[in-house]
Amino acid sequence: MKKQTFRVVDMSCSNCAMKLESLEDSLEGVKEINASYHKLTMVVEYDESLLTEEQIVDAVKRKGYTAVPA
Amino acid sequence: MSNNKTKPIDPVVIVTLGVLFVAIAFALIAFQPESNSIDIAADSGTLTQLMVAFVTGLTTGGLSCLAVQGGLLASSLAHQIEQDFAAQATHGRKSKQPASRTNSALPITLFLIAKLVAYTLLGALLGWLGSFLTLSPMTRAMLMIFIGIFMVGNALRMFNVHPIFRYFSIEPPKFITRTIRRTAKGTDAATPIFLGLLTVFIPCGVTQAMMATALGTGSAMIGALLMFAFTLGTSPVFFIVAYLTTELGARLEKFFMRFVAVVVLILGFVTLDGGLNLMGSPLSLQNLTRGWFAPSSGSAPIAAPAASDGSLILNVENNGYFPAILRAPAGKALTLNLVTENTRSCSRDFVIPALNYYQLLPETGTVQVTIPAQPAGSKLFFTCSMGMYTGQIVFE
Repeated sequence: MKKQTFRVVDMSCSNCAMKLESLEDSLEGVKEINASYHKLTMVVEYDESLLTEEQIVDAVKRKGYTAVPA
Repeated sequence: MSNNKTKPIDPVVIVTLGVLFVAIAFALIAFQPESNSIDIAADSGTLTQLMVAFVTGLTTGGLSCLAVQGGLLASSLAHQIEQDFAAQATHGRKSKQPASRTNSALPITLFLIAKLVAYTLLGALLGWLGSFLTLSPMTRAMLMIFIGIFMVGNALRMFNVHPIFRYFSIEPPKFITRTIRRTAKGTDAATPIFLGLLTVFIPCGVTQAMMATALGTGSAMIGALLMFAFTLGTSPVFFIVAYLTTELGARLEKFFMRFVAVVVLILGFVTLDGGLNLMGSPLSLQNLTRGWFAPSSGSAPIAAPAASDGSLILNVENNGYFPAILRAPAGKALTLNLVTENTRSCSRDFVIPALNYYQLLPETGTVQVTIPAQPAGSKLFFTCSMGMYTGQIVFE
């Protein structure tokens, strides 16, 4: 399991964080996502053998946001 | 995609129009000045508050709710609509008869009704809680200032002025967002009802501001009515967008977020100003600008001098206090006669903050207030309990 923090600077409200956390349900290999609008960050705990950092960035992009590994 | 040339009227459109008409009907019935059907309607101050809440919901609230709740909640409902469309297309190909779309409109309607009920109950709860805080006009003033700062902070957050303003947005606990998210996957009739109820935990910025206002009313009844009017106002926009899927929601979010921020900013400053009025602060906009107009100016409020016996007469009318400026000799006590005649607005809730005087005046009659001697050059501000209508006594 790997824990990676991403900066998501285009979050505009606390519900954006909720939208990002919903990737928990759709992205295979993700154990937990903790997104914070206050900090504009998203901490993803995931299985490296099932998921890559690029795939997470792509999934975030599909949600309408830009994630940059911190 | 089906390409039927003659489409029957979509039930979703019918229900949308229905919600819109109910909203308009509510506005017409509840907000007519002569209405005596609801006690609350008799108070034009509360009436104004409800109207502002309804219009805020219809415009900024609907869009703001759409921006924060639409993405998740409306998409789950829209998903059902899409499924219905797919089922309809399949059914149409087999039977050449359009399938019923009742299932598409129903979840959205149930969702909105549940949301309306939940927010009305929340308004009642907040108003009831607020009743413990409204012990004095000063407490109410402090609450209004707090609400005003909260609203201004939220507006500045929406403008992205500084990262610090992000802390004006309340982040719901993760277990709540997770529950909402997982519930949204359901497709039975209870799901949209439950989702509608759960939206109280993910209020948008404007809703949060309205919740704070409900707290400030200090009345379960007015708090409930306020949130009902606001949520009812949000319903048409929310309904249409739930139908038109989240694509439109994303576009609206981009286009209207600044508009929402401007309105919240204005409402925030108005609330803040009301709080300052209620504190008797000379720094409120009304008290500051009143001084800018010379009494000799034709458009200025008339300044009435005291009578020979040292008494003053102040007419308390539905739209304020007349004259707004009274003049009195310094250094001696005087009697202020507050005259009401069919006065039913919040101007009846008369407050002199500096004297810690608060009195609910009769609808018609005269109430006398003894004003102790004041130094020359000083001003004694008076206001209604909502900080809307103001005036002052100038001692010279």
